[in-house]
Amino acid sequence: MSGVDVAGRTGHRRLAVGQVAGDRRRAWPWPRVTLTALAAAACLVPFLLEPYRVFQLTMVLVHGIALLGLNLLVGHGGRVSLGHGAFLAVGAYGSAIMTTSLGVPYPLTLPVCALVTFGAGLALGRPALRLSGPYLAVVTFAVAVVVPLVIKRFGAVTGGSMGLSTPVPVAPSWTGLADDQWLYLLVLAVAVGAFAVARNLVESRAGRALAAGRENPAAAEVLGVRLDSHRTLAFGWSAMYAGVAGTLYAWVVGFVSPDSFTVTLSVVLLAAVVVGGPGSLLGPLLGGAFITFVPAVAQRAGDALPGIVSGVLIVVVVCFAPTGLAGLLRMAAGAVTRRTGRG
Amino acid sequence: MTLEIGGLTVRFGGVTALSEVDLTVRPGELVGLIGPNGAGKTTLFDCLTRRVEPAAGRMRFEGAGLEGTAPHEVAGRGIARTFQQLGLFPGLSVRENVMVGAHRHGRSGFGAAAIRPGRVRREERAIRRIADEALDRVGLLPLADHPAAHLPHGILKRVEIARALAVRPRLLLLDEPVSGLGHDEIADLARLVRDMHFTSDIMIIVVEHHMEFVMNLCERIVCLDSGRKIADGASGHVRRDPRVIDAYLGVVPWASPAGRP
Ligand SMILES: Nc1ncnc2c1ncn2[C@@H]1O[C@H](COP(=O)(O)OP(=O)(O)O)[C@@H](O)[C@H]1O
Ligand SMILES: [Mg+2]
Repeated sequence: MSGVDVAGRTGHRRLAVGQVAGDRRRAWPWPRVTLTALAAAACLVPFLLEPYRVFQLTMVLVHGIALLGLNLLVGHGGRVSLGHGAFLAVGAYGSAIMTTSLGVPYPLTLPVCALVTFGAGLALGRPALRLSGPYLAVVTFAVAVVVPLVIKRFGAVTGGSMGLSTPVPVAPSWTGLADDQWLYLLVLAVAVGAFAVARNLVESRAGRALAAGRENPAAAEVLGVRLDSHRTLAFGWSAMYAGVAGTLYAWVVGFVSPDSFTVTLSVVLLAAVVVGGPGSLLGPLLGGAFITFVPAVAQRAGDALPGIVSGVLIVVVVCFAPTGLAGLLRMAAGAVTRRTGRG
Repeated sequence: MTLEIGGLTVRFGGVTALSEVDLTVRPGELVGLIGPNGAGKTTLFDCLTRRVEPAAGRMRFEGAGLEGTAPHEVAGRGIARTFQQLGLFPGLSVRENVMVGAHRHGRSGFGAAAIRPGRVRREERAIRRIADEALDRVGLLPLADHPAAHLPHGILKRVEIARALAVRPRLLLLDEPVSGLGHDEIADLARLVRDMHFTSDIMIIVVEHHMEFVMNLCERIVCLDSGRKIADGASGHVRRDPRVIDAYLGVVPWASPAGRP
């Protein structure tokens, strides 16, 4: 049973595996180059585009952060949540109330909201994750339904259905930046941190255990993995990411209202994880672009269209590209490298 | 420092899967567990790994009862198993599968992993080293980065054994490790198990229907039939035991007269 023997026997299969459609693990061929190019583009973009485009890209990053977290739970943990819009609401309202009513400087609201939503996620995840499949979906969905109602009920603090205006962060004068550029770079910095942390989590003992529990719970448990605590923590972290995204949303938009955090948002977030590519690190960014741009593009064609177009796109991607947009990109990249490799 | 099972009884509704089974295994022993389908072999493993709650009986491992052990604490007690049907994580790479096997050799959780300090990186390297050692042992290190899917069945079976080895168990339970394998692969696997048996003094229990494999590999054989232990002893004795032949060997084609002494 020599290693050489095995490699020889299976070497040809190795290539065959790469050709299996939907193989998630096929690696992106140019990680360094892509990352450098993306970083350079991300830093230059606010100086090249008009303010409205910069705002849109900021929103892509905000959504991307929420999706990075939800992806931990859905893509890696294999558990759904139809309620993460509620954590966005908590983050957004938390920040808005702290800055307007309590006079807290806006940067401070970020760690506070992160901690609060982390705690809320653990508190909800602990009992909810004993459930699975449809039961978990229903429980989290109920949370998404209730939170906007609670916001409306406590109008004295939250502004009720009228919403709450909050001051948009102003660029410090020493930077010489316009406010939209400053906000974009702020959000970009948080997004980079969020991405790094998510990657660290996924490529760690805990991250592997989480994925193992998704793939085969019985086997994972026999190997010493505590399924419930790993899933609960994944839920807590994903709630924290949503809370951070919510806080950034309040900064960027400068206005929060119950209508921004309806059940639809929670459903769209879950759909965007799947469309972007569950379990991949690039997927959330693509999902964020999906949430931000598809409705905007479809809006031009007609009023009822954004919902319909998004819905149809979701169905198409889920049916024909189970690895999402990230998977499609990887497949395309694979095809390119094969062609150039041969030619 | 032994495994002692006494009066172990398991019922599933009306079915008695195990009935008053006694079994003692000492360190360094390699025990073959045979018996017809439905005899209760897998159920015995399920009891030891705390997936099935016995109706009666005692299980002691290294002097302490197993009854109070939670399923996720089984690996920590030094017990590892493979599954009759492959129990791999097909979405993870071969190496990641085996690294999950080494889960119990680490401490760090989500919080530490998020910022990845030096301690976490060292632990990660240690886990990877344990995994690579186990993979090397079964000869699969060259395939470490391959997904644990779309590979020949025999290779996947060995990945699962490597994953169990990464637990660094003192009791290893192999459930039909050569089912579905070809002739050469069976010989390879027999060599691997014998090698594990001779180079360490862990207890190994192998469930297998492949009589030649079991008889060549194990000095001691235990036979279950309808949940009862009907034989326990040296392989030469057990294969000639009339009750074993009656319950099992007699009806199975590969126990051909040519194969008997
Ligand atoms: N989870 C279960 N629920 C109900 N019956 C079971 C379960 N597991 C095993 N059994 C029954 O227990 C008996 C022993 O099964 P098993 O231990 O799998 O046999 P073996 O591994 O020896 O083929 C069989 O009759 C089987 O149908
Ligand atoms: Mg069985």
